[in-house]
Amino acid sequence: MAYKKLLIISQRRAFRRLLANNRDRLYRMAFAWTGNPQLADDLVQQTLLKALDNQKQLRDFSAAEGWLFRILANCLTDYRRAKREFLSGDNLELVDKATPENRFKEEQLVQKVRNAVQALPINHRQVVTLVDLEEFSYASVAQILDIPVGTVMSRLCRGRRALRERLLEIKPHESFSPAVKIKRVK
Amino acid sequence: MNKDEKVSEEQLNAFIDGELEPEEVSNVYDEAEQSAELDQRLCKQRKLKELVKLAYRDVPEPKRRSHVRRMPSSVLGLAMVASVLLVLGASIGLFLHDFLQQKSPTAGYYTAGNPQTVGTMENYILHVASGDPEHIKRALQTAQDLLSSAEPGAPRRVEIVANEQGLNLLRSDITQFKNEIRYLANENVVFYACSKSIQRLEEKGVVVKLVPEAIPGYTALDRVVLRMKDGWEYIKI
Repeated sequence: MAYKKLLIISQRRAFRRLLANNRDRLYRMAFAWTGNPQLADDLVQQTLLKALDNQKQLRDFSAAEGWLFRILANCLTDYRRAKREFLSGDNLELVDKATPENRFKEEQLVQKVRNAVQALPINHRQVVTLVDLEEFSYASVAQILDIPVGTVMSRLCRGRRALRERLLEIKPHESFSPAVKIKRVK
Repeated sequence: MNKDEKVSEEQLNAFIDGELEPEEVSNVYDEAEQSAELDQRLCKQRKLKELVKLAYRDVPEPKRRSHVRRMPSSVLGLAMVASVLLVLGASIGLFLHDFLQQKSPTAGYYTAGNPQTVGTMENYILHVASGDPEHIKRALQTAQDLLSSAEPGAPRRVEIVANEQGLNLLRSDITQFKNEIRYLANENVVFYACSKSIQRLEEKGVVVKLVPEAIPGYTALDRVVLRMKDGWEYIKI
């Protein structure tokens, strides 16, 4: 019986750690999807509360991260339904903040990339960011967003193509600070 | 895929995302060695991936989080190590305690409707999101049960955090439980009113007046997560 009790205690503590450890990752993803810090925070709060309410549904801890991101994706879907907003580039203001002369080049680049990501349709944006920011496998992304793997690949393709077209316009001297310059890949 | 392209865009993506089988990876490398154009496409795809990572490496904090003290990562790291040691120590202690004394196994997992199974060593944060008086009554009763089931000499700490409709518990113009709140506050139960729920009501033009025992300033989730990080038990009523 002591073993059983210890198991329950350790599971509950592991769940707490899971939520605490993933909060920032969820927030980063929610921000990448919405481009809005307050909305992203709201979505993460809803996600964590739902996770707390439904923790008994989580049987396999190895799938916990995907489970959390799936809840986040569902929260965003619910939000869009409720607000009838589509969070696409069509109805988001693309802010390219004026850049003072002393502003860091990296900040300029970051803003340009974020604008380009925000301009993607939400379906493409979700796939691109789940793959690029969280390094989820295509199969995991398919589970999180409840879509076939083939759809993940096609959305990724279209999303990256659109990003490439937008970001390739960045001139070489604007694109990288020396610290982040990548080497040519063979 | 263009007629001239031996490696499709999907394959390129799969290549840089590590989704290809080793044989396919080898094929792409072979093709890239023979084709400067493919090599360049690969470079661009990798560059794009790195750009997206860079753009979200540091993201802005939401404004309302600023009131919550956040630990620097180094302190957090130490805290995590300390937590692990604490959990390890507590687990060993609990195991030995049960093993040697064979005490009742009922302590531990708690459900709101079953107060006799309250654990003996932990503090609790109760979360009320419903305005249903029965739910609210159950929350207050649970807090009382938790306090009274604490072992002598080991006072238990209990907090009640109310959000959404549960905020009715702490609204002075609505609540039916002022006496109960006052009594529990005297017993050191702390009441938190979710700042976000207050903000939402105020945005709708509602003037929110709270009972004097209620503390605003935290969102419900921030409070819950903070306490869970401290090792408290969370109970949704």
